[in-house]
Amino acid sequence: MDLTPLAAGLAIGLGALGPGIGLGLGVSKAMEALGRNPEAAGALFVPYVLGLALTEAVAIYALVIGLLILFT
Amino acid sequence: MPEETGGHSESLIHVAIKAETLFHIGPIAVTNSMVGSLIVFVLLASLAWWASRNHAVVPSRLQSLLEFPVEFLGGIVRGQHETRWRSILPPVLAIFIIVLFSNYVGLLPGVGTIGVHTVENGHDVVVPIIRPASADLNFTLALALIAFVLFVGWGIRANGVKGYLKETFVANPPYMTPLMTPIHIVSELSRIISLSMRLFGNVFAGEILLAVMLALTFAIVPVAFLGLEMIFGAVQALVFALLTLTYITLATAGHGGGHDEGAESHGHDADDVALRAGAH
Repeated sequence: MDLTPLAAGLAIGLGALGPGIGLGLGVSKAMEALGRNPEAAGALFVPYVLGLALTEAVAIYALVIGLLILFT
Repeated sequence: MPEETGGHSESLIHVAIKAETLFHIGPIAVTNSMVGSLIVFVLLASLAWWASRNHAVVPSRLQSLLEFPVEFLGGIVRGQHETRWRSILPPVLAIFIIVLFSNYVGLLPGVGTIGVHTVENGHDVVVPIIRPASADLNFTLALALIAFVLFVGWGIRANGVKGYLKETFVANPPYMTPLMTPIHIVSELSRIISLSMRLFGNVFAGEILLAVMLALTFAIVPVAFLGLEMIFGAVQALVFALLTLTYITLATAGHGGGHDEGAESHGHDADDVALRAGAH
């Protein structure tokens, strides 16, 4: 029995878990800050996008590992 | 039944991590991602040619569309570098526009579906003629290397060769150097990997997502994912440009900071004055 697809699925599935939680926390805090202080939207935007990108990068690493397991 | 569906989806979804070679020109193998980047080049060159010829004080629709990223990123760069934004903006803007157009090439109709038949490992596969350049690790790695040269170059330009080397290789309390220097070097180099992998992973995963959705569902459903990919393409281009800008900001500000902040900022002022004089 070939377990390679299972390994790839687990790699991306478990790897997306943490970044998913992290992205949710990040967005919720940003929305909270925006609700408290709507004028800060401009100042928030760049750190917000950067923070989301850096969090999401972890999921991308998991994706790359999954693809490597699947295709090499 | 499972075997049948497996074989069916395998023929519909063609996943290749590296760009496939279409034909050879001498020793150079022309891949399908090179065709994609050629489309971006032609599109950008013609847009730039048009924009430099037909600009008016009251912008037309296309002109204001082209001016939008300049104003938007210009505002962000200006907010972080009040004096040298004129020389930092062009490379950041170039990275943004190239990545944006490369991402959007993948959403054009026919990209990834129109291809030539070849036999690969006994399977009959369709190799797409066009592949978005940013779904190829060679392209994203090249961009990340350019970004690396940019922020190291700005670090040297702002702090001098000696200052840059001191900041990179000597920790703030000097006795911490053996511990901190390897971490510093690894973190500087890992920026290349994370920049390139992030863009490649996102665009490549987007392409696979579109292919899978097209194979699994009927014609209307993938439209929603096309819309999603349009947002992601813009966000990833913005992220690449903003991260480059952030690394440049970190390099010009200096990592150590702290006690000799005053002397450093004084040095910056003199540099900025010189830069401004050069710009005008």
